[in-house]
Amino acid sequence: MRRTMLYLPGNNPNMLTKGHLFGSDGVILDLEDAVAMVEKDAARILVSKYLKQGEFGGVEVTVRINGIDTEFWKKDLEAIVPMKRLDGIRAPKVDSAETVKILDEEISRLEDKYGVPQGKLKLFCLLETAKGILNAYEIATASPRIAAIIPGGEDLRADLKTERSMDGTELEWARRFVVFAGRAAGVDPLDTVFSRVTDDEGLRKETQFIKQLGFAGKSIIHPNQIRIIHDVFNPTEAEIAKAQKILAAAKEAAERGQGAVTVDGKMVDTPVVKRAEYVLVRAGLA
Amino acid sequence: MTINAVKREIPDYIEGYGKVRHYQGAFARKPEGAIAGAKLRCFNNDVTDKRVSSIKEAIKASGLKSGMTVSFHHHLRNGDYVVNMVLDACAEMGIKELTLFPTALFGVHKKVIDHIKSGVVTKIMGSVNGPIGQLVSEGGMQVPVVLRSHGGRPRAVMAGDVHIDVAFIAAPTADKYGNICGTLGKSACGSLGYAFTDADYADKVVAVTDNLVDFPASPVSIPQTKADIVVEVPSIGDPAGIVSGTTKVTRDPLRLLISRYASQLIEASPYFKDGISFQTGAGGIPLAVTAFMKEAMLKKGIKGGFGLGGITGYFVELLKEGLVGKLMDVQSFDLDAVRSIGENPNHIEISADWYANPWNCGAAVNMLDVVILGATEVDTDFNANVNTEADGALLHGTGGHQDTAAGAKLTIIAQPLLRGRIPCVTDSVYNVTTPGEVIDAIVTEYGVTINPRRKDLLDAVSGVKDLPLVPMEELAARAKKMSGPTDPVRTTDRIIGVVEWRDGTVIDIVRQLKK
Amino acid sequence: MKTAQAGTLESMDCLVTLTEAAPGVGIKINITGASAARFTTAMTKKIKETLAELSVKDMDVAVQDNGALDIVLGARVEAAYGRLTK
Repeated sequence: MRRTMLYLPGNNPNMLTKGHLFGSDGVILDLEDAVAMVEKDAARILVSKYLKQGEFGGVEVTVRINGIDTEFWKKDLEAIVPMKRLDGIRAPKVDSAETVKILDEEISRLEDKYGVPQGKLKLFCLLETAKGILNAYEIATASPRIAAIIPGGEDLRADLKTERSMDGTELEWARRFVVFAGRAAGVDPLDTVFSRVTDDEGLRKETQFIKQLGFAGKSIIHPNQIRIIHDVFNPTEAEIAKAQKILAAAKEAAERGQGAVTVDGKMVDTPVVKRAEYVLVRAGLA
Repeated sequence: MTINAVKREIPDYIEGYGKVRHYQGAFARKPEGAIAGAKLRCFNNDVTDKRVSSIKEAIKASGLKSGMTVSFHHHLRNGDYVVNMVLDACAEMGIKELTLFPTALFGVHKKVIDHIKSGVVTKIMGSVNGPIGQLVSEGGMQVPVVLRSHGGRPRAVMAGDVHIDVAFIAAPTADKYGNICGTLGKSACGSLGYAFTDADYADKVVAVTDNLVDFPASPVSIPQTKADIVVEVPSIGDPAGIVSGTTKVTRDPLRLLISRYASQLIEASPYFKDGISFQTGAGGIPLAVTAFMKEAMLKKGIKGGFGLGGITGYFVELLKEGLVGKLMDVQSFDLDAVRSIGENPNHIEISADWYANPWNCGAAVNMLDVVILGATEVDTDFNANVNTEADGALLHGTGGHQDTAAGAKLTIIAQPLLRGRIPCVTDSVYNVTTPGEVIDAIVTEYGVTINPRRKDLLDAVSGVKDLPLVPMEELAARAKKMSGPTDPVRTTDRIIGVVEWRDGTVIDIVRQLKK
Repeated sequence: MKTAQAGTLESMDCLVTLTEAAPGVGIKINITGASAARFTTAMTKKIKETLAELSVKDMDVAVQDNGALDIVLGARVEAAYGRLTK
């Protein structure tokens, strides 16, 4: 599950040590925007050592490297690919399948060099420009490494030449499109961060909206955001009970050789049964 | 030398303290004999006004001489002026070699250091804070400091171990005949719980007030029958230092994580039912635990019996919302608590004796279901240290730690595993304040660690969703692995602190730091 | 003498200052701050180990500590050395 992926500033020992304890599904050790230019070297060394030590509990461990338009990205990859506790790489400013191919090649080269199983490391692509959003499907299908696509927030707004609004109007279409592209490609669409860390109600509203759109989860910047998002994504007791009922009915119908499944006197067709299965997966009961 | 029941090697006699009664177990020592008492006094109707004109006059009238024991309560906390006023006056009057017997000391009392250096104060029994503690740790006093808990102090006085010659009671409101009230006046502090012992057992009692009202004052916490002398001063303390605005629940993620685990432990325990009573301190973690418990209580429709101890506005809110039936208040921490204790009959003032004394017919702590405490460190025997810091300096008093731990059915110590690099879980604590015998669980950011003595709790929490259980061996090993080996604290042989258990036995000692 | 720094004084971090030392002087270490009282031995060991891995024989090391674990101390020494020799 990727309901929550928590950004940990790559130059912050406190968060690197404790970040995995807060219950998010994944962590993102950030070498990009959370680290000042003059500290890129120190952060890289620090993150590399934490990945080598590997004390992250059971969460999915990813690193956001610097963009391929910088002087840092190759050094970032060299420092992290060999390390034992790394599941994936989050790449910023991916705007075409071409970018994916460049990253894929370099990661493969390093996996080979360091004896890391080929294809182990997944790619999480941030789509932070209008072009990137429009190329979402091509990006999502550009490599078997792709695990998720994520629409950008601030950078995307800047590229659209508009400002942040309370209800996120300017990102709405991009969000919808990324969900379609992700689901069509069979990768996770993950939503962008919510930056008002003390606005619990606002976070809940936004999370309910993006969940409804079809996102699999959200990137977050503060541990206090985890519970709210899990609360929204987790099926309620009622939903779980209903899903179990539907699956029991489907099982019974299959055993009796009946094509049609009925629950409470109503016909229930295949997509509904599939959704019920997915509810139990999200509840951790499948 | 004797090895006591928490495996500490303690001398049989300590210079400046006396013969040691060795710690034999949390509930081992029983009282003998009768309650010791103050001198009888006689006041007839020729005196209808006990006021004197100044602190110095009050000291003169009290008969305070060099070598005597003076006592103070700490309800004015870091805003207190009275301790400094009285000691400064003693210094000017040439009174010296006093034994200082406060219920606690704060940063505002760092002037006491000057009085220690000049010989006005030569012995302290109570707690030592910050700079005074540092001075004591480096050998600045001739005799050891004696640390007692909130319950151990009244026991010591009532058993005759300590005799108070003169008690100076800061009184937010008083009348000319010595009736004292804590809830009214510009320096209102709410409960006067810690002052009752002094009022009842000192040979002379001086009420120091900045709000004189017409006789008789009302309501009355300490009646006129206890006060010998009354003195009015412009101010007994700074309100900003006496009470905080309102205590807010922390948003620090690590503290919230620990608090959530602690709350889940409480909910899974057999005590989480209608009528549950609990005590939490005013610190970040305990307050957050109360907030999570409130959520859980609302969800399950559970109403609490009583809240105990130092009362904050948060607890007052629970009382107002009907989530807890009564509050038993030995110390009011903020303005909301001060207001509430003055207005609400379900918010009860209790004395330190009522709160925590082990040698009476039953202190409030005995009826407590749950207490959440902190510590500077705990060890693999579940012993807890609250008195010394990692560098071995004696910096904190015991407070109600021992008493609540001994009384509560579920004692939880909630703290981070490391503070910076310093491990808070070790093989053996530097100093034992509270023994593992009365500590049931340690809660850290890694989860819940249950004392093996409590199989019932282990059963109750096994299988609770999202609540990691960590055995103590694993917890200690993790702390050690993360922090690495520590250099031992370097001390001399000289004992500078004696830590008493609430029954008057010596549970541990603290030695002087080598510079 | 060339000097370089890495790290911060934030919680669980340390500020490491390396200053070039004359050949033969050896490794000189000065630790101040939160961990100095109980961790001087462990920290000295870590600093020496890290410098040995970098084949450094002579260096002046000053550490202002705010609770850094070995993993952080090692990373900051390495980063400071990288800056010193850039």
